[in-house]
Amino acid sequence: MNQMAENTTNLAIVDSPRSVANKREKRRLLEAIRMSLKIQSPAVRRNTQTFNLNRYRATAAIPDYDALKDRARWIKEDSIARLPQLVEQLRETVRARGGHVFLAGTAEDACRYIRDVCLRHGAQLVVKGKSITSEEIRLNHVLQKAGIEVAESDLAEFILQIADEQPSHIIAPAVHYSRERITELFKRKFRTDLPLDTGEDLTKFARDILRDKFLHADVGITGANLIAADTGTIMLVESEGNIRMTSLLPPVHVAVAGMEKIIAARHDMATFLELLAPSATGQPLTSYTSFLSPPLADPPFALPGKPRKRREFHLVLIDHGRLRMREDPILRETLYCIRCSACLNSCANFQTVGGHAFGGETYSGGIGGSWEAGTGTLEDARFSELCTGCSRCVNQCPIRIDVPWLNENLRNRLNQAGETFVVSGMLSTLTGGAEEDQSAPATKLFFGNYHWFAEWGTRLAPLANAIASTQTARWAMERWLGLDRRRPLPQFPKQTLASVAEELPNNDLKHPIARAVLFADVFTNYGMVERGIAALRLLRELGVDVVVSESVSEGRAALSQGLLATAAENVRRAASLLEHYLEEGRDIIVLEPSSLAMFRRDARHLLESEKLIEKLRDHTFEPVEYVAALLERTGREPWEVFDVGRSRWGNRLFYHAHCQQKTIGCAAPTETLLREIGFDLVSSSVECCGMAGSFGYKKDFYDLSMAVGEDLFKQVWEADAGGERRVLLASGTSCTEQLRAGLNREVLHPIELLATILRAE
Amino acid sequence: MSERIVEFEAKGEASAATVERVTSAPVSVRAAVERIVGPSAKIVLGPDEFLPREIWQALRELPGLITEPTDKQLSTADVGISGAFAGVSSSGSVCIAMGPPLAAAASLLMPLHIVVVSPERIVARPRDLFDPECLGGEGLRRDLVFITGPSATADMGPLVRGVHGPHRLHILLLG
Repeated sequence: MNQMAENTTNLAIVDSPRSVANKREKRRLLEAIRMSLKIQSPAVRRNTQTFNLNRYRATAAIPDYDALKDRARWIKEDSIARLPQLVEQLRETVRARGGHVFLAGTAEDACRYIRDVCLRHGAQLVVKGKSITSEEIRLNHVLQKAGIEVAESDLAEFILQIADEQPSHIIAPAVHYSRERITELFKRKFRTDLPLDTGEDLTKFARDILRDKFLHADVGITGANLIAADTGTIMLVESEGNIRMTSLLPPVHVAVAGMEKIIAARHDMATFLELLAPSATGQPLTSYTSFLSPPLADPPFALPGKPRKRREFHLVLIDHGRLRMREDPILRETLYCIRCSACLNSCANFQTVGGHAFGGETYSGGIGGSWEAGTGTLEDARFSELCTGCSRCVNQCPIRIDVPWLNENLRNRLNQAGETFVVSGMLSTLTGGAEEDQSAPATKLFFGNYHWFAEWGTRLAPLANAIASTQTARWAMERWLGLDRRRPLPQFPKQTLASVAEELPNNDLKHPIARAVLFADVFTNYGMVERGIAALRLLRELGVDVVVSESVSEGRAALSQGLLATAAENVRRAASLLEHYLEEGRDIIVLEPSSLAMFRRDARHLLESEKLIEKLRDHTFEPVEYVAALLERTGREPWEVFDVGRSRWGNRLFYHAHCQQKTIGCAAPTETLLREIGFDLVSSSVECCGMAGSFGYKKDFYDLSMAVGEDLFKQVWEADAGGERRVLLASGTSCTEQLRAGLNREVLHPIELLATILRAE
Repeated sequence: MSERIVEFEAKGEASAATVERVTSAPVSVRAAVERIVGPSAKIVLGPDEFLPREIWQALRELPGLITEPTDKQLSTADVGISGAFAGVSSSGSVCIAMGPPLAAAASLLMPLHIVVVSPERIVARPRDLFDPECLGGEGLRRDLVFITGPSATADMGPLVRGVHGPHRLHILLLG
C-alpha cells in the first residue's frame, strides 16, 4: 500500500509553480517539466515564439547590428573590469546630486535598508515597477512583514502577486499565463461580476486598481536597466507606463539594481538603447525608455491631505555574489548580461516549458543557470540541464555571451561535485574518459563517451543490435544508463564508413580540382554510414581527391554532458589527427553538423593553440557547403551539374537544418543549392528538433523532447498540404532520428539526394 | 531632411501613434488640438521650453485648459500637451524632457497625449541624442523619456494599447 501511495505521489502533477521553484533535487526538476507540459506549454509557446519572431525581424532592421553588439560587448567588459572604481565614482556622483547610495553586500542588507527607508517615511503603501533583482532578494516579503503594503504595478507582476507565483521569464514574468487563465484567476481572487473576457477588460480592471495605488503611494521602487557612473543617470525600459508612474509620482524613489548594471558613461547608453528593445520584445524601442538622473527637479505628486515633500532618491546597489562572480572566469560572463531574454525566446526547450521548469527561483532560461549559481549555490543551477547546447541563442545575445558554454561549465562543476562510485569510475576508465570526469553520473559518462560504445557495438553487430533491442536490455539501459525505452535506438552498421571506404575504388584523379579528407565522425562512422558513402562518391565524381580519416571522437558528446576534461582530450586528439591532413593540403569535410560546430565554434574554449583553433575554424566544411563552393570556384551553375529530373524522390522537399549548423552559418548553402537546382523546397523554421544529440534519448527528457518536436512535425504536415508528400531531408544525425520517430518516414541527408542526381557527363 | 520627416511619420504610425502635419501658424495648431480633444475636455499644457512661444500662447487660450492645475486636477484631466525635445525618425519616437513642473504629468497621466514636434528637432536615430554635437548636446544633460506609441502591454494575453500611461498618442508635426 505504502509503495503504491508513494508511486501515486511521484506521478501526480503539481499545479503550484512555487512548489517546484527550488530544483536542487532532480525530482523537482522532473515534476516541474511535467507541470509545465501539462498546464503552461500552450501559452509559453505562443508568447515566446512571438517574441522570437519579432526579434529576428527587429534585429534584421538594424543596419549596424553586428557593430553595435561588438560595441556593447566592449562597454560591458570594460565596465566590469573597472567595477570597483565605477561604484566609487557613481557613489560620489549621486551624492553630489543629493541622492543616497547604499552598497548592499547581501540580499538581507538590501532589504533591511529599503525597509528602513520606508519606515522612516512612515510609508504604508509602496508601489513597485518590475524588478527581477527585487525578486532575487525577496524584497516584498521583508516589506510586507514590516506591515507595508506592496503593490506590484507591472501587469505581469500584478498577476504573479495575486497568484503567489515566481516569475517564469526575465522580461515577461507571467509569460506562462494565457488570457483565459488570467480571467479565471481574477474572477476567483477578486470575486467580481465585471466582464473580464478580453485583454482590454483585464487591463482596465488592473489599471483602475493600480491607478489609485500610484496616486497614493509613499514610496516608489524600480529596478534599473543601466546606470551611468559619470552622471548618475538610470535607464528604465518599459511599455506600460508603470515605471514612469513609480519613479515620477511618489516623493521617495528607490532604485534597486545589481552592481553589474553600472557602465562608465551616459553616452554609452545609446548603444544599449538601440539593442535592448529589439533583442527583448522585438520592437525598435518600447513605449517608454527613460533616462533619469534623480532626484528630479520638479516637486513630487501630492493629493490633498498628503504633505508635499521634497524628493528623495536612494540607489541600492546589490552585490549578493556578483563580486565573487567577477573573479570567476565563467560566471563573470554572466555579469555582461543585460537581461533582454533573447536566449530564452530563441530556445526550443524554453519555448515549450517556460521558466517554471527551465528556471530557478528567480532566473530562467539559458542564462538563468549562471545567475542562480552566482547569486545562490551551484545546486540552484541544476535546471540548466535543460540547455541542450543547441547554440541557437549564441548569435542572438546582444553581448555575445556564449550561453551554452556557461551551462556546459555549470554541468562540469555539478559533475565534479558528485560522488565517484566504483561502477561509474570503472565505466569512465574503460571508455577512455578523463580522470577528472569520473564523478559524473553514469548517464553522462555513457553519452559523453558514446564513441566507445558505438565502436564496440559495431564490432559486435548484428549481435549487439539484436541484444540491444530486447526488452530486458532496454529495461536495463533505462535503469542504469537513463536511456528511455520508448526511443528507437540507432542500429549499429555491419561495417564502418572507414572500412567501407577502404574497399571502394579511389578513382585515380590525375588533376583533382581539390583535395579533401572526410572526417569519419562517430555518428556517421558507426551510424549513418550511407551518408558518408554518398558524400565520398559525390565528391569524387566532382573531381575531388577524397580520403576518409580514422574515426575518433571530436569531443562534442563529452562537451554536451559537461565532461570538459574528456572533451578537451578528445578534441586535441582529433585536431592532431586532422592537422596531418591539413599539412597535405586537404580540406576537412565533416558530415555531422555538431562535430563540425565543435571545430568551427567550440574548440576555441578547449584548445590552447590560437593557430590551431584558427586552422580548424577556417578549413572545416559542411559537405553541401563544400560542393556549392566547388561549383562556384569552377564556374559551374548548379543546374548544369545536377538534374532535378533524375530525382527518384520527386522535386518536393522539406529540409530541416541542424541547430548548430544554423548557428555557424552553413544551413543556407544547402537551401540555396537545392533551390537553384530546381527543387521546390520548404525549410523548417523551428529552432531545434528537440532531440539535440543525446537529450531526447534520456528518460528524464523524452517527453519534453517529443513535445519540442511537435512544432517541427506540424511544419512538415503543413508543408505536405496541397501536393504530394514532401521528401524529408535533414543534415543532423539526431534530427534524422527525431523526424523518423515523430513521423515514421524516410529521412535523407541532402548529400544522398545530390549524389543520385548528377548529370551524366 | 524631408526624407527623415517622411520616415518619422511612417514609423510614428507604425508605433500606433497618430501623426498629423500642421502649419506652424499658432491658430492652426490650436485648431488641430481643438479638433482632436472635443469641446469639454480638461487639458493640461506642459512647459513652453520646446514650443515656439506664440504656439504655446495660443494653446494657453484653449477653452478646456486648466491654467494652474492642482495634483487632484492632474489626476482627472483628459488631455496632456507637450512640446517635444526631439523626434526620432528611425523609431517614430518623441522625446520629452523631464524636470520643469508639469513636464512629467502632461506626458503621463492623461489618457490622450498630444505632442507638438518641430521638424528641425527630428534626429535620425535614438543614439543621436547621446552625441554632444546634436541639439547642443542637451540630450546628454537632461532627464529624458523616449516615447514610442501609446502605453501598451502583452501581459494580459493579446496586445492591449492603453495601460497606465496614455492610451492615445497624437503627434502634431509642424511645418
